[in-house]
Formats: sequence, structure tokens, C-alpha cells
Amino acid sequence: MYGYHGKILKVDLTQRKIYEETFDEEFAKKYIGGVGFGFRWLYDTLPAKTDPLSPENKLIFATGPLCSISFLGSTGISVATKSPLTGLIADSDMRGRMGGALKATGYDALVLEGKSSESVYLQVTEHAVDIIEAKELWGKDIKETQEKILSKINDGKTVVTSIGIAGENLVKYAAIASDLRNFAGRGGTGAVMGSKNLKAIVIRGKLKTPVADAERIKTLIKEVNYLIKTDGSCDTLSKYGTWNTTGPANFKGILPTKNFQKTTFEYIDKIDGDAMLNSIWVGKRTCPGCAIGCRHVVKIEKPYSVSPDLEGPQYESVAALGPLLFNADPVTIAKANELCNLYGMDTISTGVIISFVMECIDRGVLTEDDLGFNLKWGEGEGILKAIETIAHREGIGDILAEGVKLASKKIGKGSENWAMCVKGSEVPMHDPRGKKGMGLAYATALKGADHESSMHDEAFERENALPDLGLKESMSRKQFGGKPFLVKTLQDYWGIMSDVLTICKFPMIPPRPLTPARLVKLLNLVTGWNFTIEEFLKTGERIFNLGRLFDAREGISRSDDTLPRRFAEVLSEGGSVGENFDQDNLQKMLDEYYRLRGWDNEGKPCPETLKRLGLEVD
Amino acid sequence: MSVAVEFLSVFPDLRGGKRMFSVKPAALGKIMDQLEDRIPGLKEKLVSQEGNIHPAYVVILTRGGVQKLLKDVACQVKDGDEISVLPVISGG
Repeated sequence: MYGYHGKILKVDLTQRKIYEETFDEEFAKKYIGGVGFGFRWLYDTLPAKTDPLSPENKLIFATGPLCSISFLGSTGISVATKSPLTGLIADSDMRGRMGGALKATGYDALVLEGKSSESVYLQVTEHAVDIIEAKELWGKDIKETQEKILSKINDGKTVVTSIGIAGENLVKYAAIASDLRNFAGRGGTGAVMGSKNLKAIVIRGKLKTPVADAERIKTLIKEVNYLIKTDGSCDTLSKYGTWNTTGPANFKGILPTKNFQKTTFEYIDKIDGDAMLNSIWVGKRTCPGCAIGCRHVVKIEKPYSVSPDLEGPQYESVAALGPLLFNADPVTIAKANELCNLYGMDTISTGVIISFVMECIDRGVLTEDDLGFNLKWGEGEGILKAIETIAHREGIGDILAEGVKLASKKIGKGSENWAMCVKGSEVPMHDPRGKKGMGLAYATALKGADHESSMHDEAFERENALPDLGLKESMSRKQFGGKPFLVKTLQDYWGIMSDVLTICKFPMIPPRPLTPARLVKLLNLVTGWNFTIEEFLKTGERIFNLGRLFDAREGISRSDDTLPRRFAEVLSEGGSVGENFDQDNLQKMLDEYYRLRGWDNEGKPCPETLKRLGLEVD
Repeated sequence: MSVAVEFLSVFPDLRGGKRMFSVKPAALGKIMDQLEDRIPGLKEKLVSQEGNIHPAYVVILTRGGVQKLLKDVACQVKDGDEISVLPVISGG
């Protein structure tokens, strides 16, 4: 097989058993890698109702065949598990080098199960796999952990992936970090790792993975990189990073503000792309093999110290720790982001939880006495204190660490009405009232509200955005019609297949040059296969349906494919004035979406759909 | 008689950090000509030879609080209108 070693490394931490399994080309062609492997193995091995934080849960790190090369972040990895936040299947794509490093040890995937009796870390090389005692690392943040491990073996090639204190404390939205700056942020993968008493995974290897046609791969990479540099489609991403979104999101009236009570922010000029570049920004970084370079380096000395060694805040973090909390201070945003990164905590969920508490205080449901500290809209000290209490599960932080769904149930008094989540996953920083496809994507995403499960509506306001996928007609971001087909297609293509190939999603968005045709060609050049775009898309559909079957087995059905009731309220100002996302329209969209997917009226895949997709399930 | 043009997270180097510009009402193509005098290199980046807006950007007209996508340079822009230029893609 080209692009694979055909080997999986399995580690049972309870029994300290380390063993290998193999897979054949037929399996590889059907699920390709990354989230495809992860979902298949989770479905096959996790009985329904498995406690996500029990030793029985699996934590799967899976590479794709493009990890064999280094192109547009393809040396990243997919992390799949059963989420402690939602109780559903989850995957989180993590950029960086871990996938490439794992491949270089001769393994395509790492499957972890069980629970170590004491804190440990795992070391994987092409020669040996060791479980090593990690008492001295427990209680350390992400940076201290990385530095302590690398102080013994800093060869520039070793990749350290670890959890922080939030993962140790089983914060339900704890993240996993690799090389300090790459995060499997969403869904609580870090809590699962913490529940296994596994602090870190250390990988180094030198093995090459054979590819089918190295010369033509080189030519294709050159072609795409040339277009990235010259066709204008990546210019703003390259200049501003994802901060290119903040000002436009505000202008369009989709920037979540004050816990989604508004979608425009009065002080946008203080935190938009230009403001950030002119205040806290000191440089940018790139992922391996990327010609764009969208990642920020920020440095601050006063009044808080923010280290340039860590990742600066991306758009989601700016919005979740900024306007969502009515916070217009770039310094506080950067510091809050750094704390989340050091503790290993998802910034989206953290921001949504804190804004939920702020609204609880506004409405008299909680008082600052209940919290033990002051927490007001826009006040930095309170925001930073809230993050500390959550990461350490101190006081009310113990409730907030459970996620907004469970926290609102415990707090009660009607607070469920402003708990902004879908299926237990906190809503990302794109208000769906101004982009209806995103609303349907939130409602139907496998892991709860997820902004990376489907491309965003704006890219399809022009004609022929992705003609290879049948997306030829232009449609307004505000319209409901046409969106079920758009979302279904893009969930299969963008949401799933980028995580199967563990490649960055950004260059795939039209009019950027990593088109479906080029992506499929790249897959074929690496593997020697002859996939068509149709087969590629069908693979994405197969994996999406497998994820849905997992969720259905956990009890998910139509009534769970919904949105927070706040989105039914009509916006009174801004670029999406007059817009809402009401239940009638959502139900009509679901009817059409289920029909297109070949699901029954309750959202369960029909037997003929499974047969068409070649899905064998019990 | 003027039209306000705002640049949101686009072309910072060309416009030298200035965000807002004021131009005279005209067809969008003529407005681009006015802007080109003050932001040299803008037209090449933003408008194709056929007169279409580059697919990586959108130009939005705001009139009476209502936003409308402008698709080509023939669109007429009136006194008091506002124009915003922004990247088409958001997300991340």
C-alpha cells in the first residue's frame, strides 16, 4: 500500500499491554484514514451508553495518507472519541506535526484504551513503545509539560502532545495540545485523555512512507502553492489570519455579542483585524507545508504578560473571549486565550460558559456572592478569574466545567433559555440567524454545534462556487431554500473528508485553489488509487452516516437536531436585521435534509441508504 | 454629494492603514477609478478585466440600512449610500 504502513498501535493502559494490529487496502479504501478510521473503530468497539470518562472509552489518533507528505498542514491528525461533553461521537482535527511523526514511527494510528493506575506518558519511536511514569508532570500546564519532556530529548524532531490541568481535572471541554500551539479543541478529548491518567504522548521517528508518484505530487503541490501566492484568493487570510473574519462578521450582523443577545458589537474598531495587527500582533507562523501562514504570534508585557511562544488567539477565540463577553480589550482577550491554552481548555466552550454566567447575573439567577468573585460584562479580571476557577474546578467552576447544558440544568431558574448549545456542545462564533446554512449545520452536526462541519454560506453567494459538487447556483446567506443540499454536500466533503485526509480546511473553501479535483488527484497520486470525485464524496457520506448511526445508538433523533430557542428571536439591528431562525423553517429544512440523506423521518439512516453506502452495521 | 467607502480587513498595505474613503456618487466602476487614484493598485486586485468583482471579495452597498451585494461595476451608487469591501470568506 502506498500512503500507509497498514499498522495500528494499540495501548491498553489498564493492563499496560502494547500491541499492533493491521488493516488491509480494502479497509483503507473504504475509510481512508483520520476520522474515517476513528469512527469505524469507535462504532465497532464501544457499546451504547459507554461512560466517556470510563476506562472503556477509546481515544483514537489517526493519520490519513496525506501525512506521508507535508502539504497544507497535512501532517496534522484526527482525534476521535466519545465526547464527555455530549455523550456522542466526536472528532477534533489537530494541526501540527503529530500525524507526520506517528507515520514516521511506522504506525497509521494510535488507539488508547483503559486507565493507568498512576499518571503516565507514552513514548513512541520506530524502535520501541514505552509507558513511562509521569508524576512529576501531573499538575503542570501545557508549556511546563512540553519543556520538561523536551529538556531530556530536545532533538527538534520529537513531538510532544499533552493535556493541561483542565484535562487532569476532567473539565468536559478540555483540549489536547501538540507542540504547544496545535489543539484538538472541541468535544473534551483532553478530559478523556485525563481520565486515562495519560499526561502526554511523545513521538519521534524517521521512517518514510512510500507514495505512488512522488514527482507528480511535487508538481501538483507547486501548482497549488503558486495559485495561493498569486490568485488573490488567500491574500486576506495570509495578511490577517482568521482575524479577517471579525470586522466582516460584525458588519454582516453575525458576530455573537453578549451571549448571542446581539450580533453587532459597538466597540468592534478596538478588536477587528486592523486593530489586532496594530496592537498585540508581532508576527505569524505557518503550519508544515503551508504557503498561506494564517497563524498569529502575539506578545504583551503589560498589564499582563502573554508569551509569543504560545498560539495567539484565532477568530473563534477573539469572538468568544471578546464580544461574546462584551470585552473590547485585545490584551485581555489574548491573556484569556493564553490561559485557556496553558490549561488546555476549548476557548469557544469557555467563552460561552462565562457569557452564560454573566447573563445569569444580569437576570438575578446568580449573584457575584455565589461566584466568590466579581464578573461583569467586559471586565477582564473577572473573565480571567472565571477561567481559573473552571480549570481548577474551584467553587462554581466545578459546575461550569460540566459544560453549559449541565450547568444550566444544575442552576435552573429558567437559565436553560440562555444556555447556548446544541446537543450539549457550545455554539461557535457565527450567529445562524444571518447564515441559515450554518444553522442547519449546527443542528445536524454529529458532535453538536460545529462551525467546521460545513462551509459557511458566504462562499456560495456567487455562482459556480463548487461546480464539481453540484453547487452552481448563487444563494443569499440569509435564505433557507437550497441550504439542505448545500449543507449535506459540504458536511460530506469539507466537514468529513478534510479530517479524513487530515489536511487544512481553509484552502478548500472556494475560490481558493485546493478544489475537489485537485484534492482527489492528490489522494490518487499518494495512494496509487483511481478515486473519482463521486467516490470521494460517497466516502464522506459513508463516514458521516456511520457517525450518525453511532449517535442514533446513543438515543439521538429528530428532536435533538435543533437550535437554542434564542435564535428564533428576530434581530433588531445590524447587517442581519429582521432575521431569525424559527422552528417552522428548521423543520422544513430537516424534512428536505433527511430526504436528501436517505434518512427516515426521525433522522435515522434507512436500510437502503446503508446498503448504497456499503455500510455494514449490526 | 458623497459615498462612504469602508475597507474591512482587506488591502491594508495598499490603503496605508486608512479605513474610510469618501467618493462621489457614480457607477461602481467609476467609483473604483476614483479610489484607484488614492489607492494605487486597488483595481488590479479587486476588479477583473471583464469588470467583475474578484471572487475572493465582496462589495456590499448599504442603502437605508439594507445591505445589497454588488456583482459588477455597472451598478449605480447614489448620494448617501455606503459601500463596504470585505473578504468573501469568513470562518475559523
